Amino acid sequence: MSELILQALYSGVLQGGSYALIALGLALVFGTMKVINLAHGELVLLAAYMAYMVESKLGLSPLFAIPLALVLVCTCAVLVYFLVSLIRKDRELNSLILTYGIGIILTNAVLLIWSADVRSTSSAWFQDAVVVGPFYSMRSELLFFVVASVLMAGLWWWLSRSWYGRAVRAVSSNRDAAKLMGINPRTTEIVSFVVAGILASFAGVAIFSYGVIQPAFGHALTVKAFIITVLAGIGSIPGVMVGGLLLGIAEALTVTLASSALQELVGMALFLLVLFLMPNGLFGAKARRG
Amino acid sequence: MYVSKTGLAVIAAAYVAVPLLLGSNNYVMSLIVAAMIIGGIALAWALLGNLGGMVSFGHSAFFGVGAYVSALLTMKAGMPIFAAMLLGGVGAVVASLVMLPVLRLKGPYFALAILAYAHIFKIIATEWSSVTGGSAGLASVPRFPELMGFDLSGKTGSYLIILTVLLAFVAAYRAIRASHYGIALRAMHDSEDATRVVGVNSTLLKALMLFVSAFMTGVVGAFNVHYINFLEPDYAFSGLWVTLPIVAAIFGGYRTILGPLVGAVTVYLVDQLIFKSLIPSGHQLVLGALLVAMIIFSPGGLMPLLRKDSRRKHAAA
Amino acid sequence: MLRLEDLSVRFGGLTAVNTVSLSVGSHEVVGLVGPNGAGKTTLFNAVSGLVKPSSGRILFDSVDMLRTPLHRRARMGIGRTFQVPQPMHELTVRENLIVAQRFGTGAVDARKIDEVLDFTNLTDKAERHAATELALTELKALEVAKALATNPKLLMLDEVLAGLETNGKRRFMGMLKELHEKFAVGILIIEHDIETISNLCHRVAVLNFGELIADGTPDEVFRDPEVMKSYTGASDA
Repeated sequence: MSELILQALYSGVLQGGSYALIALGLALVFGTMKVINLAHGELVLLAAYMAYMVESKLGLSPLFAIPLALVLVCTCAVLVYFLVSLIRKDRELNSLILTYGIGIILTNAVLLIWSADVRSTSSAWFQDAVVVGPFYSMRSELLFFVVASVLMAGLWWWLSRSWYGRAVRAVSSNRDAAKLMGINPRTTEIVSFVVAGILASFAGVAIFSYGVIQPAFGHALTVKAFIITVLAGIGSIPGVMVGGLLLGIAEALTVTLASSALQELVGMALFLLVLFLMPNGLFGAKARRG
Repeated sequence: MYVSKTGLAVIAAAYVAVPLLLGSNNYVMSLIVAAMIIGGIALAWALLGNLGGMVSFGHSAFFGVGAYVSALLTMKAGMPIFAAMLLGGVGAVVASLVMLPVLRLKGPYFALAILAYAHIFKIIATEWSSVTGGSAGLASVPRFPELMGFDLSGKTGSYLIILTVLLAFVAAYRAIRASHYGIALRAMHDSEDATRVVGVNSTLLKALMLFVSAFMTGVVGAFNVHYINFLEPDYAFSGLWVTLPIVAAIFGGYRTILGPLVGAVTVYLVDQLIFKSLIPSGHQLVLGALLVAMIIFSPGGLMPLLRKDSRRKHAAA
Repeated sequence: MLRLEDLSVRFGGLTAVNTVSLSVGSHEVVGLVGPNGAGKTTLFNAVSGLVKPSSGRILFDSVDMLRTPLHRRARMGIGRTFQVPQPMHELTVRENLIVAQRFGTGAVDARKIDEVLDFTNLTDKAERHAATELALTELKALEVAKALATNPKLLMLDEVLAGLETNGKRRFMGMLKELHEKFAVGILIIEHDIETISNLCHRVAVLNFGELIADGTPDEVFRDPEVMKSYTGASDA
C-alpha cells in the first residue's frame, strides 16, 4: 500500500509540473492585466493538437511541434490580449465573458479540424517505462517534468533579474507606481500574454506526449489552472509552482486510493475548501475580500 | 402591475395565435419550446448579472439539480409534477447555499467558483448511482398530465406550460426590480461602499438574487425533464445550459428583462436552422464569435441598441 | 456618543491610524484636521466599517462597533459622506434618498424625504439622475442628504466644502450650522480650512502621521505652535 502511495506521489509530482506551467501563465496575465483568461486552457489544447498533427501527418516526434506551437499559441495569446484590450467598460466581468467566448471558438475550431475523437501519442519512445529508484513513469512524463522545471527556473530568473520580468512584477504589484517609474503597462501586458503562451505551448505538447486529448479538454485545463492559482493565492509565483504539484499529487492519490472518476472532484473540493477556509490561498498575502 | 397594450397583445398572441398557427407542426413547436427553455435560463442568468452584479458560468448546476429533484420526487415519491417542479426550484436554491461564502469575494472568484461547483454536481450525479441511476440516467420520467381533457404532455401543452412559467418569471423580475431591494441593488452596481454605509446589507441582497436565479433555473430544469422524460448526468449538467443562455442574454441585453428572452429565441433558432445545417459539428463556434463581437461592440446587447436607434428616429421625426 | 479607544489601523507595514483616542458627544461639532495622508479618512472608514481596525475599540452609544456589521451601523445612527461624492449612479436623487432611508432606518417616510430634499436645496432636482445631471455643489449636498435620510445621530463629513467656490462654501456652511441645530446631530467633520473649523466647531482634533497630536477648543489648538508647524508645513490648503 505504502509503495502504491509513494508511486502515486511520484506520478503526481510529474503531472504537477505541466499543471504548474499552465497555471503560471494564467497567474502572470492576471497579475499584469487583472484578467482571468478563460481561454487559457484552450491555448494549451491548441499546442497539444499541434503535437498530434506533427506526429500523425508528418510522422515526426511530437517534440518537433514545439516551434510550431510556440508561433501559433503566442499569436493566439496576443490576439486574446488585443480583444480584451478592446473592452471599453466593466473590464473585470466583461473580460470573463469575452475570453469564455474565445474558449468556445477555439474548442469548436479544434472539434471542426480534428473531430471529437480522443487522441494520444503512438510514439513508443515516449511511452517506454523509465525507472528511477523504486518509481516508474513513462519516459515522456519524466522528460517533460525536467522541461517544466527548467522553464520554471528560467521564469524565476526572468522575473527577478531581467528588466521586462521586473516590469511585469512591478505592474502586477502596483500599476500606478510602475507607470511613474516609466514602465508602459501595455507592453508588460503583451509580454505577460506572450510568456503565458510560451508556457502553454510546452505544457500542451507535454500533455499530448503522456496523456489523452480531446476538444472539451481545454475548458477543464482552465479550471485546473484557476484552482491552482486559488490554492496558491493570487500573486504568489512560487505558490503557483507548489500549487501545481499539490493538485497533481491530490489527483494521483485519488486515482490510486479511490477511483479515477473522482479525479476531477478532488481538485474542486480542494478549491472550495481553500476558498472558504483560507480565502487568501496557501501562500497569498494580498486580501481579496471586497 | 402595469402591462402595456403591446405587451397584452404579445401575451395573447403567444397563448392563442402560436398554438393555432404552429401547433400542428411538431418540429417547429419543439424548436420553440427548446428556445424558451434556453430563454428561461437566460432570464435567470441575466437577473443575477443585472441585479446582483455577478457573472455565473455554473448555472448548469441549478438546471441539473432542479431536473433531478423533480424527476426523483415524481418517480420515487409519486409527487404531482407541478409541485415537484416547484420543489426542483427549491432544490436548486438549497444547492446554491453552498455558494454563499463565495459571495463575499469579488470579481472572477464567484464566476469560477460556481463553475467548479457545477462540475462537482455532475460528478455526484454520476457517482451516486443508487439514487440518480448513475451515468445510465433515469428513463421514463413522468410526463405532464392531462388537464380537463387537454393533454399537456404534447408539444403544444408543454409550450403553454413553459410560456406560463416564463411569464411568471418576467412578472417576478419586474416586481423585484421595482422594489426597494431592486433600487438598492441598482445602487450597489456603481458604488457598493456608498450603498453599504447607508445600511444596505449588500451580501444579503446578492444572496437573495442568487436564490431567485437558482430557483428559476431549477424550475426550468424540472420542466425540461418532464418534457423530454429522461435524464442523465452529462445532459443535465451539460455546459450547453450555460453557453447558450449566456450568448442569448448578452445578445439580447442582459440589463433588460425581455432581452434575454428575445435573444434566446433569435440565437437558438438561427443556430439550429442555419449554423447547424452549415456546420453540423462545431456550430457553436459561431456562438463564441457572436459573444466576442457583442462584448466588444455592444456589451449592452442588441435590445438597448435598437431602442436607442428608434429613439433617435423619434427625435428626428 | 462616539468613543475611540486606542484605535489603530495598519495596512501591511503602513500605520494609517496609530492608537488614537477620541470622543464626540451628542450634539457636539468636532473638527478633524491634519495634512493629507494623516489618516483622517481612514479613521472615518474604520468607524463606518469599510476598513477593519488592527487594534483598539470603537464604541457608539456604548455598543462595540467592531462586533456590529457594517450595514447595521447606519441603523444605529452613524451617517457619513464621502470626500469624492458617491451618488448611486443609476438612480434619481429621490431614489438615492429612498434607498438610504429604507435601509438606514427600516421604513420609508415620503414626508421626511421631502424635508431632507428641501433642506439640502435639492427639491428641484429630485427626479434628476444623480450621476449625470448634478453640479458639484449639488452632488455634495446629495452626499449630506443621503446621510441625513438615514436619521443619523452622528454625521461624519469628509471635506464636504472642498472644491466649492466662496459663495457655495458660505451657503453650505450655513446649511451645516442649521443642520446641527435642526436635526440635533453630533458632527465629526474633516476640513482643511482653519477659518471654517473655528467658525463651526466646538472642538478640534489634529491628526499627523496617524497620531492624535492635539485635541481641544479651536482657540487652544490653533495657538499650539507644534500643531501649526505640522499643519501649515505639510498642507497646501
